[in-house]
Amino acid sequence: MKRFFEILIWAGLAIVAATALATIALHRGEPISATWFVLAAACSYLVAYRLYSAFIAAKLLALDNSRATPAERRDDGRDFVPTNKWVLFGHHFAAIAGPGPLVGPTLAAQFGYLPGTLWLIAGAAFAGCVQDFVILFCSIRRDGKTLGEMAREEVSKRGGFIAQLAVLAIMIILLGVVALVIVNALKSSPWATFTLAATIPIALLLGVYLRFVRPGRVLEASLMGVALILFAVVAGRWVADSPTWSKVFTLSGLALTFAIIVYGFAASALPVWLLLAPRDYLSAFIKAGAIFTLAAGILLVRPHVLMPPLTRFVDGNGPVFAGKIFPFCFITIACGAISGFHSLISSGTTPKMIQHEAHARLIGYGAMLMESFVGVMAMVAACAMTPGVYFAINSPAQIVGAAPETAAQTVSSWGYPLSATTMANLAHSVGEQTLWNRAGGAPSLAVGMAQIFSTTIGGERLLSIWYHFVIMFEALFILTVLDAGTRVGRFMIQELGGRVWKPFGRLNWYPAILLSSALIVGAWGYFLYQGVVDPLGGINSLWPLFGISNQLLAAVALVVATTILLKMGRLKWIWVTLLPMAWLVIITMTASYEKIFSENPRIGFLSFANALAAQIAAGKIPTAKIAETQRVIFNQRLDAVVTAVLAGMILVLLVEALAQWRAILSKEKQPVLHETPYVPTHWAEGD
Amino acid sequence: MDRAWSSTKRGLSNLWQGLREWCGDAAYERYRLYAKRTGQNPIQSPTEFYVDQLNKKYSRPNRCC
Repeated sequence: MKRFFEILIWAGLAIVAATALATIALHRGEPISATWFVLAAACSYLVAYRLYSAFIAAKLLALDNSRATPAERRDDGRDFVPTNKWVLFGHHFAAIAGPGPLVGPTLAAQFGYLPGTLWLIAGAAFAGCVQDFVILFCSIRRDGKTLGEMAREEVSKRGGFIAQLAVLAIMIILLGVVALVIVNALKSSPWATFTLAATIPIALLLGVYLRFVRPGRVLEASLMGVALILFAVVAGRWVADSPTWSKVFTLSGLALTFAIIVYGFAASALPVWLLLAPRDYLSAFIKAGAIFTLAAGILLVRPHVLMPPLTRFVDGNGPVFAGKIFPFCFITIACGAISGFHSLISSGTTPKMIQHEAHARLIGYGAMLMESFVGVMAMVAACAMTPGVYFAINSPAQIVGAAPETAAQTVSSWGYPLSATTMANLAHSVGEQTLWNRAGGAPSLAVGMAQIFSTTIGGERLLSIWYHFVIMFEALFILTVLDAGTRVGRFMIQELGGRVWKPFGRLNWYPAILLSSALIVGAWGYFLYQGVVDPLGGINSLWPLFGISNQLLAAVALVVATTILLKMGRLKWIWVTLLPMAWLVIITMTASYEKIFSENPRIGFLSFANALAAQIAAGKIPTAKIAETQRVIFNQRLDAVVTAVLAGMILVLLVEALAQWRAILSKEKQPVLHETPYVPTHWAEGD
Repeated sequence: MDRAWSSTKRGLSNLWQGLREWCGDAAYERYRLYAKRTGQNPIQSPTEFYVDQLNKKYSRPNRCC
């Protein structure tokens, strides 16, 4: 009887999911309630978790709770620590959820709400969660080895080297792109700039408190820090209203670029307890609070989604970024559906803390579902604003025009009515001088979220506070990614350099610390700089580059996973990882090809460079602008080379893996699996 | 009524403990328990342990995009 009711409940949930998905897919004309999005996502995720993840756990991975995990066998009270599954779920989710699932869906909203929402839900269930879950399992069975180590052992030495290079490359591009998102959110905004600047002394204060006053008391220190930051958000208004102070904190894109580069260098070279760690604590608490508030806000307000299911920009001529739905929607959504970067977390700290193999299902598969849900909420927030406003905020001046009246006319001519007064009023009510041409996703998401929050608490009066709270929240955890990524990148460079000259690899030798910090900051700083000076706003070139590199890393992870599963003899179910891998290879290769060779100058790096070169040759560029244009030409060609190198790396890895698979399947070679030997657990299931 | 109160108390206590574990407040206590259990000596001071843990944590990718 119990079984019957269980089947009835899950069948009911599946029907609700299907109905909600059909409603958002087939709805035309009138705005649609966000409730349908929440229902479609939540019910689909529940069904996917109950059925698909259980199938993967039982059939593909055959999780074995009688087997001791690394946390049990190597328990050292520090790295290998058996941890409660819900606490570890929280750790894992906090580690994987970054700005990607917020910014990606916001940018992809230019196609309309439908393509992005469907990919967020389906991509997470069939690709992203599968990758996180399987890599976590593989790492647990190998004492918590990293993706690079597993690639080296299970695929080939070259495969391991490629995986390591891919990680460094994605790190550099990622840091450059997320820094660009901050610059676009803060430029000409004294309120936002002050609030973010205030987080630096607050973090330093917390660092000193946690190091010297109450060592390790993270909770109390973070609560104090959060209170100070909330005060800084409010105080930002006084700064913006003060004629003297607002001038100090009104910075141009280039000034912010150099400020962030200097900050990144300092965060990488300073002791970790002073700035990086306390900022991370603050970021984790505010991130959890903001995501919870957004979910509650959407459920309470149930806003209407005003963006149509499909916009005219499915033709590839979108103002936010150029390119058709296939492959650019998938590249743009990135982390909310599948993120290669997650495989680094799944093969990092998490496998060393898991108590039982069966917990990998909740932590690997479940945490990614949660991240995807954040992506769906970001999509709702972005699509709940008037489409005209969305396009006005996210389109560069070169496309819509620099003057507000001209820009409003351009946006209206696309079929999304907008007046310059609407934008001026909106900017005024959120406490900004202007909201035009703020590409990058952060300001439009902040407007969307602030509108939802203010409908719940405070009304119109608090709109500006909410807007700056969201900007601070986005910028705070982007800076955390920047700090932590720069530091890890520094270690990678020191490790590589140490192979050539040993002293360079010493992590406590200051000349090596300074040089490697300068190298990593210089690398992502260059991408940031080129994004800021890019005439098309930077996001058009750099976000797809980031998406390609992130999805390529996911393809690397799935190649490694497929190879391991083949060696384990799971040929019958190999499609579970093989299909998402093939899909990722197809979309990344297509996107790479289009980004390099497309004849449309807004898509192809080379054609854009050639078009600019032709303009110089024809004397159409003023003499004063020639040097700047030549720099843009160089940057476009550099981006083409970077894309080609990334695509080349995955092709080499794929060829290596295919050779392995052929040898295994034809029984030419006995598969050698590098799992740690079976040791029975001493713990009962409930431990 | 008593049962409801005691299960609420237990739930809140678990939640509090989970929060302390999640944010790292309980890390040093756990380390001390481990050191006591295994007879490890000498053990690190709270400051040494805190700095050591941070240096390890931030030497590998631990925050995603």
